[in-house]
Amino acid sequence: MIFNSLTYLLFLLCIVSLYWLFSYRLRLYLIFFSSLVFYGFWRIEFIPIMLLSVIVDYLVSIYIPKSAKKMKKKLLLVSLCTNLGLLFYFKYLIFFSNSAVGILNFFGASIDPLFLNIILPIGISFYTFQTISYTVDVYRGLIKPEEDFILYGCYVTFFPQLVAGPVLRAREVIPQFKNRIPFSILDIFEGLKRIIYGLFLKVVLADNIAPLVDDGFLMSIENMSALDVWTLSFLFGFQIYFDFSAYSHIAIGSARLLGIRFPENFNFPYIASSPRDFWRRWHISLSSWIRDYIYLPMANINVQNISTGGISNAVGHTKKTKSLVLTWIIMGLWHGANWTFVLWGIYHVILIILYRLFSRLFTSFSDSFRSVIGIIIMLPLMMLAWIPFRSQSSQDAIQMWVKIFNFNEYGSLGMRENTYLITFILVVAFFVVYVIKSKIMPKLANEKSIFKFIVLQTLFFSFMMPLIFIFLKPGNQFIYFQF
Amino acid sequence: MYRLNRPVLYSVAPLFLGLIISFAGLYLFYIEIDPNENLDELAIGSENTLTLASIDKKKIHCEGGLREVNDCINDYLIYGDSDELILWLGNSQLHSINQFQLGDETASLILHKKLQSKDKYLLTFSQPNANLQEHFLLFEYLSNRVPITELILPVVFDDLRETGIRDNLQDILKHKVVIRELKNTEVGNKILLRQNTNKSLEGHNDPLDGTEQEGVEEYLNNALESMFDIWGDRSALRGKILLNLYKFRNWSLGITPSSIRKKIPVRYNMNMQALSAIIDSAQRKEIKVLVYIVPIRNDVKIPYNLNDYNDFKSKVISLDDSGLVKIANMEGIVPANYWGSKKPTSINSKVQELDFMHFNADGHKALSNEIFKALKAENDF
Repeated sequence: MIFNSLTYLLFLLCIVSLYWLFSYRLRLYLIFFSSLVFYGFWRIEFIPIMLLSVIVDYLVSIYIPKSAKKMKKKLLLVSLCTNLGLLFYFKYLIFFSNSAVGILNFFGASIDPLFLNIILPIGISFYTFQTISYTVDVYRGLIKPEEDFILYGCYVTFFPQLVAGPVLRAREVIPQFKNRIPFSILDIFEGLKRIIYGLFLKVVLADNIAPLVDDGFLMSIENMSALDVWTLSFLFGFQIYFDFSAYSHIAIGSARLLGIRFPENFNFPYIASSPRDFWRRWHISLSSWIRDYIYLPMANINVQNISTGGISNAVGHTKKTKSLVLTWIIMGLWHGANWTFVLWGIYHVILIILYRLFSRLFTSFSDSFRSVIGIIIMLPLMMLAWIPFRSQSSQDAIQMWVKIFNFNEYGSLGMRENTYLITFILVVAFFVVYVIKSKIMPKLANEKSIFKFIVLQTLFFSFMMPLIFIFLKPGNQFIYFQF
Repeated sequence: MYRLNRPVLYSVAPLFLGLIISFAGLYLFYIEIDPNENLDELAIGSENTLTLASIDKKKIHCEGGLREVNDCINDYLIYGDSDELILWLGNSQLHSINQFQLGDETASLILHKKLQSKDKYLLTFSQPNANLQEHFLLFEYLSNRVPITELILPVVFDDLRETGIRDNLQDILKHKVVIRELKNTEVGNKILLRQNTNKSLEGHNDPLDGTEQEGVEEYLNNALESMFDIWGDRSALRGKILLNLYKFRNWSLGITPSSIRKKIPVRYNMNMQALSAIIDSAQRKEIKVLVYIVPIRNDVKIPYNLNDYNDFKSKVISLDDSGLVKIANMEGIVPANYWGSKKPTSINSKVQELDFMHFNADGHKALSNEIFKALKAENDF
């Protein structure tokens, strides 16, 4: 079921109403089974695959604490093989087999590529990561296994985060499910606000930017100018940000309607002044997951076990470059089985390494100056990172990047004038909203100026709600569904 | 009973107030929409009237998508009294009459009547801002459905700034014959690639296709439409918002119909390739082609970059004017007084703006006469 649909809004209304009427135990059953219904609305035949992952990790984690050291490892291996096996089959089999065939053919073999029609189960990258983290945490002794299957099932399948995150840790969610949460009108209204905000970002902004981005990326690259490359990278950067943060807002809001709190997943990422800062602000739960379950173990550093903080705390270790490179390649491949995503990962590694090298030059300057310079440098660099994310092939992405270094390519514009205008407005609007939300609103949120605070918020909602009403339609899927 | 404390009140108040203001604003915005207002007419300007010709309920000029095209074709197949079918493809210039008065006829109707007397049947299809890629697609589709003997094809500098295939023509790309024809050309392959890329981009095709949610969503949508008119009219509301944004843009940046437009190289090249592809395809099928540069008002400075426009004209004129292809420059055939004006396209402006695309009924007469002359010269009738 997709969030930007009437079906979801009706579904949510029913679930929230029943949830607050039900007893504690019934609530858990309601969440578990409604989550299966939510998932089944996409394709019912993929529910068993998800349940397989849920059941295997449930059983494995129950037996891990009771087992001897060697057995523990074997059980962990069972969990990893199951989850990564599912992920490999559905997401990477075609990619790796075709890549292997391509390499063999390059060396003279004559092998036909595999023609398989494998449908990627929606959300598989998210729920497998969540179940893996659960079992690994039990293995590490960080959490006790949950014996109540339904409660554990609620943690993995909880519908707001099931198909596109945030990637939650058991420690953050299971304790919330363990108690009967008292009804709070504040939760309801705060949840509604987040949903409204998310729907606005999705149906009004992301979905209306999408055709411009599609049009732009369909241009042949030889006809594209450097200004077109810049514009498209910014435009897609905003599209993917609005789209994905919209999903997170709606997920957080939906959970809040049920009294469950999720950690934040986005925090104005394009205001970042360094790569480290960016990953503290973009898809925070994933970068924290990667930090705790891939990078830190690979680099032999103690894990942190919280889905906040991003990858930041890890990137300071310059000796761990090899782990860093591997981590970013995995991060790239997590997003999609394509060399373009590997290229995206490599771009980020290079950015981090360059940052480490050059940031020392600015240590004598004041924090605010470094911050401003950081934003000015990081914003275009981060936007350019989206080029391989959206390109049809790595060659296309590289060709587009090359254009920006050729000064002769700055002479023409290949798209309608509106495209450049909209991109410019988005950049300005992003910073204006950032200032209002992060600087002005917190200052107004006190007894003295509460009237101004309410007026400002009212203005926002009066602007957003009619537009959601007018533009609401399941026209486009969320981009992160494909990951 | 739940007691509202201050933090709750601070949270609830903006949402409630916002909801009330939203409803009121939406209502006021909604009642301003004229149910009789045709969005097509809105697109061409309110001084222009969408006029689609038909004779004895037989449609001879259709505007819209594939469905409308098929309506016209079906009428021809049923009532068509001539084997010599002439096809005229174009943009809103063909279906709009500026300062319309009762009894006014479009060039397509006038020409149809004239050709009828020569035992020829004229079918016209036009779409606002139709680009040559769309014409190419439509031509391939139609030439495989009906025996066309001649094609009349206007080239409009403005429309070379457009690209892509609009939604209501997309179904043409499902026809195997059309796909085969497109694959024979570079531009055809680009159109197909674009289509396939759009399909393959998850998130940009219908996300509910083939899902269990599809039926439920449709049911809920229909239910809301039957309960609340405003729900069904959301597309009109969307159109109105976009129109207001367009006016706001024009106002804030001082853009008018007279503002100079430059060519957009990528789109321009693709459309010129489509033009060549149409001509090549027509020649292979032994269909005569009359390509003409459309009339433009010559009493004021034209709103195009002159270098770009002159380059465009010389490129069109230098097309291979031999065999079955005839090139004509009809830029100056519509006198200044036949051109109209249109309501301001900017917020708060009361000044009528020049219309560079649409002319009155006399202009239509002039156009049909010129085209008839050109056809006559070619066909010797």
